[in-house]
Parts: sequence; C-alpha cells; structure tokens
Amino acid sequence: MTGLSLPDKALERAVQSLPDDSLSETRHAALARFLERGFPTTRLEDWKYTDLKEVAEISRRWLEGGATSADTSALDSEVQRICSSIDADWIVVANGVISPGVISSSGTSHPGKGITVSTYSESSLAPAFDVPLADFNAALLTDGLHIRFNADAANDRPLGLLIIDGTDGLPGVAQTRIRIEFDDGAKAQLIEYQVSRGDADHYANAVVELSIGNQAVVDYVRVQNRAENHIQTHRTEARLGTRSVLRYSGFDLGGQLIRNDLDVAIDAPEAEVSIAGLYVAGDGQHIDNHVRIDHQTGPARSTQEYRGILGGRCRCVWNGKAIVQPGADGTDAEQANHNLLLSDRSEIDAKPELEIYADDVKCSHGTTVGQIDDNALFYLRTRGLDKKDAIRALTRAFGASIVSRLAISELAESLTAMVEARLAELTESDSQ
Amino acid sequence: MLEISELSASTGNTEILDGLSLTVNAGEVHAIMGPNGSGKSTLAQVIAGHDDYAVTGGSVTYKGSDLLQLEPEERAREGIFLGFQYPVEIPGVNNAYLLKAAVNAKRKHHGLDEVDAFEFLKLAREKMTLLGMDQKFLNRGVNEGFSGGEKKRNEVLQMAMLEPDLAILDETDSGLDIDALKAVAKGVNALRDPERAIVLVTHYQRLLDYVQPDFVHVLSGGKILRSGDKSLALELEEKGYDWVKEAANA
Repeated sequence: MTGLSLPDKALERAVQSLPDDSLSETRHAALARFLERGFPTTRLEDWKYTDLKEVAEISRRWLEGGATSADTSALDSEVQRICSSIDADWIVVANGVISPGVISSSGTSHPGKGITVSTYSESSLAPAFDVPLADFNAALLTDGLHIRFNADAANDRPLGLLIIDGTDGLPGVAQTRIRIEFDDGAKAQLIEYQVSRGDADHYANAVVELSIGNQAVVDYVRVQNRAENHIQTHRTEARLGTRSVLRYSGFDLGGQLIRNDLDVAIDAPEAEVSIAGLYVAGDGQHIDNHVRIDHQTGPARSTQEYRGILGGRCRCVWNGKAIVQPGADGTDAEQANHNLLLSDRSEIDAKPELEIYADDVKCSHGTTVGQIDDNALFYLRTRGLDKKDAIRALTRAFGASIVSRLAISELAESLTAMVEARLAELTESDSQ
Repeated sequence: MLEISELSASTGNTEILDGLSLTVNAGEVHAIMGPNGSGKSTLAQVIAGHDDYAVTGGSVTYKGSDLLQLEPEERAREGIFLGFQYPVEIPGVNNAYLLKAAVNAKRKHHGLDEVDAFEFLKLAREKMTLLGMDQKFLNRGVNEGFSGGEKKRNEVLQMAMLEPDLAILDETDSGLDIDALKAVAKGVNALRDPERAIVLVTHYQRLLDYVQPDFVHVLSGGKILRSGDKSLALELEEKGYDWVKEAANA
C-alpha cells in the first residue's frame, strides 16, 4: 500500500453487500487493486496540489456507518425543479443509483429517437478501471449507465444527465459510471449537471467514458454546482474517431473539494477537440481541473481555454497537458489558462505542459494571473457605478468569453443565472 | 459650482499641482490649456477622484460641499462627468449595459425610478444620431476595438446620456479628424445650458473654433499662469506657451 488506505474488512463487506450480479467479478477485481494501491497521495506529481485525505476520511466514516446507499426520496423535489427548469430529456442518477425512465419538462418518458438508454448489467458491460479512483468506483458501483446515439439520433432536445447527491445525517459516498457511445455520423448534445443537497458530508466519485465515432459531432457541457460540504472526483475519458468533433465545456461553481480529470485521446486523423472551462471559487473551496489531450495521430486540432475567478481563501489548480506522440504530425494544440484573483488569500496553481515527440506540429500555451484592472474600475466608477457593481461587471466580463460560447442554448439562461449568482456571492464577500 | 482653492496634488513623490485656484460658475465654458506635463490631466483626474493622486493641500468645493470627501461614483451621481483622454477598453462589458447602469445609478441617487429598456433605447438612439454614431456600438464591449475617434464619440455619448452639471473633457479633441471633431463639438454645444458648466482641457486651439469658451486659462507648472477670454487662446496659438511663462517670470 502506497496511498491513502481505508479499513480493508469494512471495504470488503461493503463490496460484498452489493447484489450478486454480472458486475460482481469486476467489483472484486477492482477492490483487490484498490486495496493494493489506495487513493493517490500528494507525493504523486498529478496530485501534488490536491490532497484526498478528506476523501479517505468521509469514506471511512461512511464505511463505519454501514456503507448504506442513502435514501434518495429527499432529492425528489430538487430533481423535479431542475428537470422542469432546463429543457432537456433528463436521466437521473441519485446517490449513484440510476432512476428508471426519462424526465422532461414536456413529460415524455422515453429518450429521443435513435438514442438507447440501458444499464451496464443489461448491456453486459463491465466497468473499465486502471487508475485508483476508477478502481474505487468499479469496486463499489451498483450499476452503470450505458447510452448510445445512433447515426440518425433525433436529439431535438439535449440529453441531460442529472448527477444528484446528498443525504441528511450520516456521511454519504456514491459512485457514478456512465458510458456513452456515439455511432459514426451521430450528432448529440449533452448536459451533465452535478448538484447536491442535504446537510451531511458527501463524496461523489464518477467515471464517464465517451466513445465518439467517425464524423460524429458532440457538444458536451458539464456544470458542477455542489454544496460547500461536498467532495467530487470526476474523470472523463474521451476517444475520438476520424473527422469527429468534441466541444466540451466544464463549469465549476460549487463544492468543497473538486477534482476533474478530462482525458482525451485522439487516435484517428482530422479530429477536432475544443475545451472551455470556467471555475469560480470562494472561501473554503478547492477546485482542480486536470486536462490531458493525447494526440496519437495527426493531423488534428485541440484547443483548451480555462478561466478562473477566485475570491476569499481558496485554491484552484489547472493542469493542461498536450502530448504529441511520435508520428502525430500536423497536430495543432493550443492551451490557455487565465485567472482573476479577487483576494490576496486566493491561490492558483497553473501548470501548462507540452510533450512533443513529432516534428510537424503547432503548439502554444499561455497562462495569466491578474487582478481587477484599476483603470477599468475607476472608469466605471466615474460613470456612477458602485465599486461593488463595477467589480461584479468586470468579473462577469472576465468569464463571459467562456459562458458566451456555450453551444447548448437550452442551458444558456440557467447557466448565466447560476454564474451570476455565484459571482454576486463572491464579490459581495470580497468587497467588504 | 466649482471652487478650487490653492490645490496641490502629487503622485508618488512628484508634486504635480502646486497651489492651483479656479472658479467655475454654472452656464460657463472654460478652456484649460497648457504644455504637456503642466498638470492638466491631473487636475481632471483629481476632480473625478482618482486615488493615484494624493491631495496635499488646498480645497475643492462643488455645489457648496467638500468634493474631496466623495467617492468617484458619488461625484458622478452628483453630476460630475469626466471625459477621458484615453478611454479605457473593457472587453465583455457591454456598452449599452454601462450606459444604462450609469443612467440608473444617477437616477436612483436622486430618488427617481429607473428607466425601462424601451425608454433607454429610445434616448440612446436619439443621442447617437446626434453624434453620428452607428447603433451597433451599443452592443459592443465598452470601447473594445474602437478607433480613437469612436472612443471620443463614445465619451461624448455617455456625457449626453448622463446630462452632467459639470463636464470636464480631457483632451477630447486630440487625435480626431475634422468630422469627428465636429461631431464632438456638436455634442458639447448641445449640452451648453445656463445650469451647466463645461471645462475643456486641451492642448490646441482647434476645438475652440467650434466650442466658444467664455474663459481661457493657461496652466503651467501646476498652477494657472494666466486667464483671459477666448482671444487668449488665439494669442497662444500665435506666440506659444513660452510667451506666457516668460511673461509670468518677468
């Protein structure tokens, strides 16, 4: 054992208490691997700035409390509220348990034409694992969600994945696993919305796999707005086919400790990946985004731009890595990370990385860390705006380039309101 | 309206204003001229409340109250407008948003209802037509990618919308072609009113051909060396600033 460990016996009991089904074998294999390695520690370069001690602590308390899958009925009203406010076909995963059927504002109970929704056990699919958090996820997974978009999928409305977690009383731990396959030529819009309710501490761990076929076009927006005592580790692995397009945006507005890994492999030519992210952190928050784009073949183009707005005592981490493998000529990889610090107690650890093993490539990266521009602030104040309102306008403007490129119009209004509310909280507390 | 008495101000360790006195009454248009580095822009910035400048002596009274006690936004809502020599580009902050927020901040301060979107647009379009500005500027970021002339017109547009009691225009004429200069002058002249005072800070006499000042002051070394009527501006154009300095030293 090199990492952060959990009590072996209690963990084994928790895995054994899950139903004996087609996932059992994988659960035990993943458990054996996890028991060997544990959670990663800050001694590892990839985890240098994010300490999972709190994850181990909540998990230990959850195991001591009987490792129960929490009752989800308390989440129902919140589920209804969200599903009716954003126009999408929603699939709900509450505390790691997949709810049957689809909810939408128009009341339909089936996904759109050409979209198949099933579970891992129904599809005889085994969860893949190789990194410790995926081990932990596969060991404790009740069941996974398996979605397939056919080439003729009629995605009139975006497909929503509502990942909602929370309990009252005992701390909770939940595993979510989603695999989405996009057939050749499929066009799809997806929203993954991560929220939480309830007053207990909670740890949500998710693994999402995107398998994107040739010439498929995927718009994917992940919005995280968790409670201040909730922890999330989230891993997305995407694989892109020839001439496919992935437009991915991630918004992190809440949570106590958030770690998102986005791993994209381009192993077919002429794929195009554009990633945009916005993180807004205030007092007590830790938000870490790790993005890794592996150009295995060329020509292909990847861009990523993350922006961070930090206020109060908080810490954010951004690590963008582009790897250009031998022979991946014609690769064009851009990465940018810009941060606005509203407080001198905010910390950003920004780390762009390029690993290039091919000759004919175009790669660039840029990182900035700054504060509110005094000249712009003075200018707005001479027009009569309160200092607080002026700071808010400038802060909003800083994030606007990420918010405005949102490809899913059904989400735009809600997301803008969420970002606005979060910025209001941040600028309110920091201007005092 | 504005009573500046023995005003001294510095930035860092550099004294820029050195006992400057000036009185501006309602209905008057004043031109402040002077060589580069004489303190013209500093005077404008101090009146607007920029905290880069420390007031080290003297007083500024506006409508009978101590102006220096007020925050920049309070000065604006009380009717002071500064047209910037270098208007700041603020990408992502919409020009219409700023205009509306500015108008409403002032209205709220004076106990008036906020203007609604319809009223606001009507007013903004009216003023833009007067200034020969394209309506598309409303939906662009504040001064973002504007040419020099567009920026200055945008300053005058803001002034026209806010209808200030005291407008200070800092080199609003610099870098303008003749059409832009005429448009700016038109905006300024439209604001001339017995209840209102305008201070034009300028390096050249050119603007004064289109906006006739009641008083012309020459600022040099942080104080006013000479005051006169508009003929002083013409005399300066002819003889240069050194003439005033020499006369003052004699």
